[in-house]
Amino acid sequence: MTLEGWIPQINEYTSLQEVVEFAFDYRGNTTVVKGDGSEIVGYVFNRNSDAPEPFIQLFDERGDGPFNIPYRDIATIKFTGKDTAAGNSWKAWVERKEKEKALRGAASGADRLGSDPGPHGS
Amino acid sequence: MSVPVSQMYTVASYVIKQKLSGRKRYPLVLMLEPLFRCNLACAGCGKIQYPAQILKKHLTVEQCVRAVDECGAPIVSIPGGEPLMYPDIDKLVIELVKRKKYVYLCTNAILLKEKLHLFSPSKYLTFSVHMDGLREDHDEAVCRDGVFDEAVVGIKAALERGFRVTTNTTLFDGASPLRMRQFFDEMMNLGVEGMMLSPGYSYSKAPDQEHFLRQTRTNQLFSEMLSRNKRQWKFNQSPLFLRFLMGKQDFECTPWGNPTFNMFGWQRPCYLLQEGYAATFQELMETTRWENYGKKSGNEKCRDCMVHCGYEATAVDYTFSSVKGFAETVAVTLTGKL
Repeated sequence: MTLEGWIPQINEYTSLQEVVEFAFDYRGNTTVVKGDGSEIVGYVFNRNSDAPEPFIQLFDERGDGPFNIPYRDIATIKFTGKDTAAGNSWKAWVERKEKEKALRGAASGADRLGSDPGPHGS
Repeated sequence: MSVPVSQMYTVASYVIKQKLSGRKRYPLVLMLEPLFRCNLACAGCGKIQYPAQILKKHLTVEQCVRAVDECGAPIVSIPGGEPLMYPDIDKLVIELVKRKKYVYLCTNAILLKEKLHLFSPSKYLTFSVHMDGLREDHDEAVCRDGVFDEAVVGIKAALERGFRVTTNTTLFDGASPLRMRQFFDEMMNLGVEGMMLSPGYSYSKAPDQEHFLRQTRTNQLFSEMLSRNKRQWKFNQSPLFLRFLMGKQDFECTPWGNPTFNMFGWQRPCYLLQEGYAATFQELMETTRWENYGKKSGNEKCRDCMVHCGYEATAVDYTFSSVKGFAETVAVTLTGKL
């Protein structure tokens, strides 16, 4: 399950605070759309909703920052970057290992067949 | 126990000083992450899943040193990422040793032999090499064949040059107590000073979610592994923490014991959970809602956690909080019986 590609609409069902929490939890770049229509792409690494002026913090896509953006300036946050935590590398690793073992087993079996002509071999 | 006397003395006097000054919460080990970049992508690791611009970044030596001074902990652990990929690792270590901090440079050792010339042996510097078991088990845990052998080459080279070397091992479900006992023999035969053990933590961002240990399973595994422990096995950690892992001791988490600093700031509340960042160490200590963490809090993220970064500080604090705690530690240390 990944939020990659999600473009949330802030409305009565989805609050900005919820979207900020999702963005904070997201291990990929997002696009922060501001109220004036401008956008900043980057990695949201922190947020503080308890501060007198709630804000998010991000490093932009060049790695510059950190930039603080107050909640009041944010229209929405789009989940535009690749989710680097998505996927299942353990499963892929185990599958690859199993395949390798099977291949090694098959190869050694073939070697045995090739080297052992058997009772009726030529 | 394999911790040198000078290190034990430093830690003991630091803890006693904190207690005498009435400081309720104090850090024991600073987890300093100068970068997240790594030359491995282990399935159990939740530290390296970041966009490219974050993986390319790193802290400056000045930022690292400022954090060390701000925190004041006597021990600095440098995990990552892979710290040997940090371009200024030599300068950072020099600065920390100058400050008489006991530095544990946590490395997978792939680059250790190549980079050894950057360092000078010191009682303050230990290479803590990530080793999750015997060759096959370790290579499987780090998702790459051949890493165990590369690490052994690094360990041997570091030992030959007179460096302090320990191993650090994270255990996941499915670990075989018998194979782990063979692993302990193998590591001690290599000549390492001691070994560090911890159960894995289920990082929500780690790809492998199925193999993390639950508490009862942790107790069972560590009991089977460490009961009738051999005298030749040396552990570079609190013996009471090992007893806790075996289910012989009950501790509560000390989430502020191993505070974590990285390019995002001071991580709340601990090395494992990532619930936000504070700009200063003081802000971390004063504004984190510590009551929301640990088993007693009912926080389900803490329910099965028995990881060293939360409980080893508790074990050390317990040692110096009462005559009973001190006597228990001395008894286990002297007899070697866990």
